[in-house]
Amino acid sequence: MERKIRVLAGAPGLDCHDRGLLYVSSELRAAGVEVIYIGTFHTVEEIVNAAIDEDVDGIVLSYLNDDLYMIYFPKVMELLKEKDAHDICVFCGGRIEEENKPVLEKIGITGFFGQGTPGEVIVDHIIERIKRERRCS
Amino acid sequence: MKKERTKPERRFEPCPTTKTISGVPINKLYSPENTEEIDYQRDLGNPGEYPFTRGIWGDMYRGKLWTKRVFSGLGLPSDTNKRWKYLIQHGETGLYWQSDAPTGHGLDADHPLGEYNAGVTGISFSMLKDFYDYFDGISPEDISLSQNTPTMAGPVIYAGFITYAEDMGYELKKLSGSFINEYLFSALTMFNVGHFPEELSVKLSTDVIEHSIKQTPKLHPLAPNPYNLADYGANVAQEIAFTVGIIREYIDRMIARGYNIDEFAPRVNVFGCSCDIDFFEEIGKFRATRRLWAKLMKEKYGAKDAKSMRIYLSAHTEGDSLTVVQPVNNIIRITLQSLACVLGGLQSFDPCGYGEPHHLLTEAEALTCLNLHHILSHETGVAATADPLGGSYYVEWLTSKIEEDMWKLVDEIERMGGALKAIGWMREKLEKESAKRQEELETKDRYVVGVNEFIVPKEQEVKIDMDKYRPAGEQIKIAEERARQVRNFKMERDKKTTKNALENLRSEAEKGEKHNLIPAIKKALRADATLGEIIGVIRMANGYDYDPYKMIDYPF
Repeated sequence: MERKIRVLAGAPGLDCHDRGLLYVSSELRAAGVEVIYIGTFHTVEEIVNAAIDEDVDGIVLSYLNDDLYMIYFPKVMELLKEKDAHDICVFCGGRIEEENKPVLEKIGITGFFGQGTPGEVIVDHIIERIKRERRCS
Repeated sequence: MKKERTKPERRFEPCPTTKTISGVPINKLYSPENTEEIDYQRDLGNPGEYPFTRGIWGDMYRGKLWTKRVFSGLGLPSDTNKRWKYLIQHGETGLYWQSDAPTGHGLDADHPLGEYNAGVTGISFSMLKDFYDYFDGISPEDISLSQNTPTMAGPVIYAGFITYAEDMGYELKKLSGSFINEYLFSALTMFNVGHFPEELSVKLSTDVIEHSIKQTPKLHPLAPNPYNLADYGANVAQEIAFTVGIIREYIDRMIARGYNIDEFAPRVNVFGCSCDIDFFEEIGKFRATRRLWAKLMKEKYGAKDAKSMRIYLSAHTEGDSLTVVQPVNNIIRITLQSLACVLGGLQSFDPCGYGEPHHLLTEAEALTCLNLHHILSHETGVAATADPLGGSYYVEWLTSKIEEDMWKLVDEIERMGGALKAIGWMREKLEKESAKRQEELETKDRYVVGVNEFIVPKEQEVKIDMDKYRPAGEQIKIAEERARQVRNFKMERDKKTTKNALENLRSEAEKGEKHNLIPAIKKALRADATLGEIIGVIRMANGYDYDPYKMIDYPF
């Protein structure tokens, strides 16, 4: 039987906004995805280490407060590469400014689930990309 | 050949709204039969008279306008000082202090988890010396301060504020404004239940109330923030009722410390609410809150002083109602919300900047907020008479309905043994409501223009000059500079003096719930102890780790 898709949901830094993360997690669970929810207030190292320890297929990052995600998210990608885990699919949501999307896309992050994105769209994108990149099915 | 016609698809469209945002069904018409149970003297009263439904001041805005505030706090202490002066020059009548994320967590600007964060989303406070920079050229005797730091950092900032005032020779009795200084609502929303020690936070906040009623009688030392509950998805009844439940924890503690209700209630009667986009529901909420508070004080606590029975309402317009797309639409939303604040009879409010979903207020946004205040107060006539919607069949009916819903929750929390015991239950309710809000957007049970209806293709969106506040690169430079300031400060101070003061604080903090820690915190601040160190030491004295994130150790 095919292994269930596993996703880590977390947010770096001191941003307290977690409604989006909670919502995405519950939608993913409803679609049969196993979500390891670590929530807010984590260092980039904690997020990456947890993702590797939990052997996840994907990481969902969330950020809203300010533009520091442009520091944190690239650091996540760097650290994944350093630890030879850059085949983990990284997704993001929150408040990602238009001009920053291409920069993040270039380093391998997709999704950019902003205000008002329907749950179905988010879940389909995550599952479809993980299946495509990690399950070759 | 038939020519293509451009037709208005919605020409005969009716209003799609059948209920308020909180879910109260709305009739197509309200008339005298809906308000026959309402008795003017018993349920409304004139403004300034019990139960204060129509307002807490007799003359309302003809006697004094609401305090015009603008959300502020940014960058280095000198940046905030500059912005405060700018706002005062353009007609702000009350200061607003929003703490940045490290300060909000009770961390110093040089804490590792706070790397890059100092000064980014608010004011960075780490040591007593900072006050000299914030208030350079501004006297706290001249203007009230709305200080917005939840968590254990609030009491330390309060102590810093009065220490600074004392050292500068200002009269403590002239200091006015409010300190949120309340952690439980943040435990429900910004953090999570159990993230910071709740009992200890409540104890410290109670210390501030006790200290303040004697030393700073014009300050409101505890001003709970229903705003965050609404921001998390709470409906109007939950927003206020949960807050009432929370503040009763503090009221009960003060009574347990031997105080009579009238000795302190007039100092803990400020709520910092939200003002969301359902216009009449918000107005009904404000009126219902005034009536509920009055009854609560009089009937449940036996208050005799009218000052205990009236509640000061302030509001921040609801950030969650604003859209990332087409910020110009947010000006319209903020305007309507501000109008609701005025018609709701609030004592103070701060409109969001129209770029709020994107960044901290720019100067342009701050000035627009002030102009909004001024247009409301000086052009429109809406402030010329008290409670102009009083007597409206819909508004009076809605006020009563909302009050009824609020009491149900207030009573439920009481039955559960109080807010601390009910905290898990409240959090569950909030998460449910939050999920409901999202679902409503997807099923179009609720509309947000530009997001799920009336969507405009990107190339046709109205663009306004979104004067970019600060890109990430610049934000980091400020955070690094600020962290450097704090590190140097720690290196250059007389460590022996600081250590002694912190050890003194530690032993004071072991003396139990009723022992007031404000004097020892003041001593520590004067001895150059920092915010993180003071909180850390109080935590250790109560059996917690020095650092809530276990990344740094006690330095002495």
